[in-house]
Amino acid sequence: MPDFSLTPEQESLRDLARKFARTEMAPHAAECDRTPRFPEEIYRKAYELGLMNLNVPPEYGGSGLGLFDQCLIVEELAYACGGMTTSIIANCLALEPILLDGSPEQKERFLQPFCGEYHLASFALTEPSGGSDPGAMHTLARREGDHYVLSGEKCFISNAPQASLYTVFATVDPSLRHKGVTAFVVPRSAEGVTVGRDEEKMGHRASSTASIRFDDVRVPVADRLGAEGTGFSLAMRTLDQTRTPIGALATGIAQAGLDHAAAYSLKRETFGKPIAEHQAIQIKLATMVQSVHAARLLTWRAAWTIDRGQKGTLESSIAKCFASDAAFAVADQAIQIFGGYGYMREYPVEKLLRDAKLTQIYEGANEIQRTVIARELLKGYT
Amino acid sequence: MEIVVCVKPVPDAETRLRASADGTTLDIEAVKFVLAGYDESAVEQALLLKEATPGSKVHVVSAGPPPRTEEVLRASLALGCDTATWAEMPAGIAPDPVAAARALARAIATVPHDLVLCGKNAGDDEAGVVAGSLAELLTVPDFSDVADLRWEAATSHLKFQRSTEAGTESWEAPLPCVIALQQAWNDPRTAKLPMILKSRKLPIAKVAPEAAAAPAGTSRPTKFELPPPRTGAKLIEFKTPEEAAQKLVQALKEEAKVFP
Repeated sequence: MPDFSLTPEQESLRDLARKFARTEMAPHAAECDRTPRFPEEIYRKAYELGLMNLNVPPEYGGSGLGLFDQCLIVEELAYACGGMTTSIIANCLALEPILLDGSPEQKERFLQPFCGEYHLASFALTEPSGGSDPGAMHTLARREGDHYVLSGEKCFISNAPQASLYTVFATVDPSLRHKGVTAFVVPRSAEGVTVGRDEEKMGHRASSTASIRFDDVRVPVADRLGAEGTGFSLAMRTLDQTRTPIGALATGIAQAGLDHAAAYSLKRETFGKPIAEHQAIQIKLATMVQSVHAARLLTWRAAWTIDRGQKGTLESSIAKCFASDAAFAVADQAIQIFGGYGYMREYPVEKLLRDAKLTQIYEGANEIQRTVIARELLKGYT
Repeated sequence: MEIVVCVKPVPDAETRLRASADGTTLDIEAVKFVLAGYDESAVEQALLLKEATPGSKVHVVSAGPPPRTEEVLRASLALGCDTATWAEMPAGIAPDPVAAARALARAIATVPHDLVLCGKNAGDDEAGVVAGSLAELLTVPDFSDVADLRWEAATSHLKFQRSTEAGTESWEAPLPCVIALQQAWNDPRTAKLPMILKSRKLPIAKVAPEAAAAPAGTSRPTKFELPPPRTGAKLIEFKTPEEAAQKLVQALKEEAKVFP
């Protein structure tokens, strides 16, 4: 029987995330957005409570949660601040390739010291010429004896300025397209690694984003993940795992927009009564709550599917795509309900729109999600 | 030192409350229960004492119905308590404080105990009866409204303060005793995620309810009402600060009648 109730353990995990989000993150969200500021002290606390390396098994120092439990936590964090949440969960994305294709020796060597204390990692796939077509990547990995020599540039890399470890995708031969892509673990301290300036962003301003240049960076063959040419598949399998939490992140933003708008609509009066009593506003709120519920249920369904050991490509793409579009639409309507105040920085809803926007773009733009969804859908008809 | 800390599940402050169908008590359907605020600081105090006194253990006990009592015991284990004991009570009903104290005393009898800590009262009924009753049942002294509790190993005495309206008293007392702690003067820790997962798997010792012939609680609630909704504030409109002050003083005198 399908069951939408949470176990007491799941409620406790959600309560922990909710408490952390509301007491540690929310009070600083507006300031970190405006300044902008990367609140390392908050990320450190998240690490100490076990909220950071959620997908890493306990034997390597992580929390070892399934995707469903991860989603419960991510939604609560994002309710307080989407940008901080991106920085908190960036490790999950960056470490997933090591979890998937790392050898036992590599897992022990990279994950154990990394997760044993507060560290940040970044997932470096996107390049200046595009992120949605990794087969066309330019970053080159040239084999020289027992080393590869990496040269090229990655861009829009979350946490890059603060991270100490990167999982980097490069091609051993661009003419091989997808079949040339190979994954590597590269420490920030490697010679020839240069991190660009922290980008000025529209939203997610508590998170950091920068380019990384690789100028003849020597990477031992022992730090390659999987075989040569398996990097594209690894990147896709990684995103299959991490796409669903983006649905949860977007759901958190959407829920925040709904809560702000509903509470405001009961206080704000026009024509002698609260605007919540006007049908125009009721219709907006009714549409918003439908979107929030649907986003959450699709996210839960995707997480549940993957936790049962299925690939869940269709489910996770639907969840990510729907929830991020829902977050943007709900934030938009929240601003509309706040009227002129909603457009002001002093009120919390315009930030939600700026934060929601990114969820439609990163971890696979929604255009790519729709391509994937259609492809998976049509498999059932051919 | 063997430290017992008593905890009680109380409705979360964020829960929307309503009266039960018969109007005598709180409707607990759909209420989320949490560790009471005073008890949370009592657990923190117990853990601080344990950390400062090598070889100590913290035993958490609670008396109440399932499932909420189990949940606050697990929450306490996640914070770092060593053992948990549950004095089971029939589902649904919140025990009256004397009945709760009796059940707690029977649970405490099953674990080693030099010191028994309680919150000074629970966040829901605010009765503040359990600690005194427990001391009577355990035949040990008790101290209420205690803050800044420390163990002095050199003299084997507890040292603590009691803040009253008349001033602050400093005390020392030997073990065993029951101590009812003041509000959150410490900053209760947050359970870490791995501890939350671990606490789900730890055993909870159960103490069965008293036989039916045992005396029931001595009191019962007869009526429960939520506080009346707040009435609206009055906004004073003004053009100059002088006018604002004049209108405010006038309103305080004539409407609120706080000045003659």
